[in-house]
Amino acid sequence: MKKVDLIGVGMTKFDKHPNKTSRDLLVEATREAITSVDKGIYLKEDVKGLFVGYFTPSLYEHQGHSGPLITEWLGLTGIPAFRTESACASASAALTTGYFAIASGMYDVVMVAGVEKMTKLDTPGVTDALSIAADDVFELGTGITFPGLFALMAQEYFEKYGGNWEDLQAVTLKNHHNGSLNPKAQFQAEISAIAKKTAIKKDVTFKDEMDFLKSKYNPWIAYPLRLFDCSPISDGASVAFLTSREISNRFTDKPLHINGVGLSTDTLTVAGRSDLTTSEATINAAAVAYKMAGVTPNNIDIAEVHDCFTINEVILSETLSFFKKGEGLKAAQEGRTSLSGDKPINTDGGLKSKGHPVGATGIAMVHEIWEQLRGEAGERQVKGNPKIGLTCNVGGSTASSMVFIFERGEK
Amino acid sequence: MMLTVQHYINGLKSGKILGSKCKKCSELMIPLKPVCSKCGSFDVEEFKTTGKGVVRSFTVIYVAPEKFKDKVPYVVALINLDEGGTVMGRLAGVDPNKPEDIKVGTKVQFEALVEGEETVVSFVIN
Repeated sequence: MKKVDLIGVGMTKFDKHPNKTSRDLLVEATREAITSVDKGIYLKEDVKGLFVGYFTPSLYEHQGHSGPLITEWLGLTGIPAFRTESACASASAALTTGYFAIASGMYDVVMVAGVEKMTKLDTPGVTDALSIAADDVFELGTGITFPGLFALMAQEYFEKYGGNWEDLQAVTLKNHHNGSLNPKAQFQAEISAIAKKTAIKKDVTFKDEMDFLKSKYNPWIAYPLRLFDCSPISDGASVAFLTSREISNRFTDKPLHINGVGLSTDTLTVAGRSDLTTSEATINAAAVAYKMAGVTPNNIDIAEVHDCFTINEVILSETLSFFKKGEGLKAAQEGRTSLSGDKPINTDGGLKSKGHPVGATGIAMVHEIWEQLRGEAGERQVKGNPKIGLTCNVGGSTASSMVFIFERGEK
Repeated sequence: MMLTVQHYINGLKSGKILGSKCKKCSELMIPLKPVCSKCGSFDVEEFKTTGKGVVRSFTVIYVAPEKFKDKVPYVVALINLDEGGTVMGRLAGVDPNKPEDIKVGTKVQFEALVEGEETVVSFVIN
């Protein structure tokens, strides 16, 4: 099996992009990815295959067949291309497919991408579109939603380990702080700034951030989760280029090695799981990725962890063995996952504040690992020259989980 | 006989939550599965539950998909059935505006709720 390197990444700002379709967003992200390749890349000559993650193009854009569509728009008609789907882990599915393609020796350079154009639908429409990542027969008929599924997990977590909604706000505050330092983030604002703006607009006063978070301006979505516990509805695209390690120096002297890839599934229904305070799929995926990379959780300098809802960052930070079971909430409250903590998580603001165009998220996580490990993360750069990074991207209610471990290549 | 989703839906309509039992290793699966999750055998038979159980976890939905928009707020719970297994269902007879009064461990009973043409899995406090 050939070793695989990451040689470039790009992404659009995650935001509402009313005048751009998914193909426009992908072209924009591709342009940026091209400029990130230190020694340059010429798509028409170099790229031998393209895999693009997009969860529900049929619902958002009445569009299928993403492969030939995006190759046509990038002037790459003819190369093999298709869409990968694993709900919110669709971009990681594209990354996995690209990894397989290089590792097998079939291709030497591939492009992997992710995109979701969500804001064409209103909130009930998006809620509906996202919900198909759950079991239509055994779950959706009850009226459950995605926030609802994670609310069930939060309730079980609080019941088992203690803690409450207020404790979870450590994650909200931290991720909004990190997002405020990220020019690609949808919400580049601290919660305190959002509170101040709301106070002026609505002519009300808030004592502090928590007073705002407890107010009607942060309404319940699915008890015990409120609006600011949920990642937003976003448009965006992300792109990465992969090569075999033996030729990566044609493109850059500073590649990231992809040293660990772990994939697993859990029951699609949350009811099928004996413990909602953990993610079996992530435990399995992480075990494979750690072993393959020859590292332990202690070796991970920074991690991008799927915080579609605040509770999930806590659960996954334990599941990835960064913290013991039941101690993830405390770790977040103690600042251990902040930019200056001993285990920085979601330094880009996470899904919570950076935005979550679901099909683009997995490779947007890789974008942050790329910038952090290469020392290019600007104001949010983690100190201490981080060398090893991890991404954990899950699909739906963590029914699929994909874990990647990256290490900065030393030349 | 191969168990299908239609068996399960017919079961709900007749007031029963159906599971399946492996004829090879006796593993019980609730709700039903066509293949034994323990030994992998396709030789499974229908198993009728009593529909009795306890609340394992719950949430109150305030923002619903299009189809349920008019029903908010409503409570959805995970119910641990007495015979084993967990099912998701609507929880009726509780005040969605007082979630702090809903307790994990509360005994409940399955009751099919007909909404339009669909049968919704629903539980009432026992």
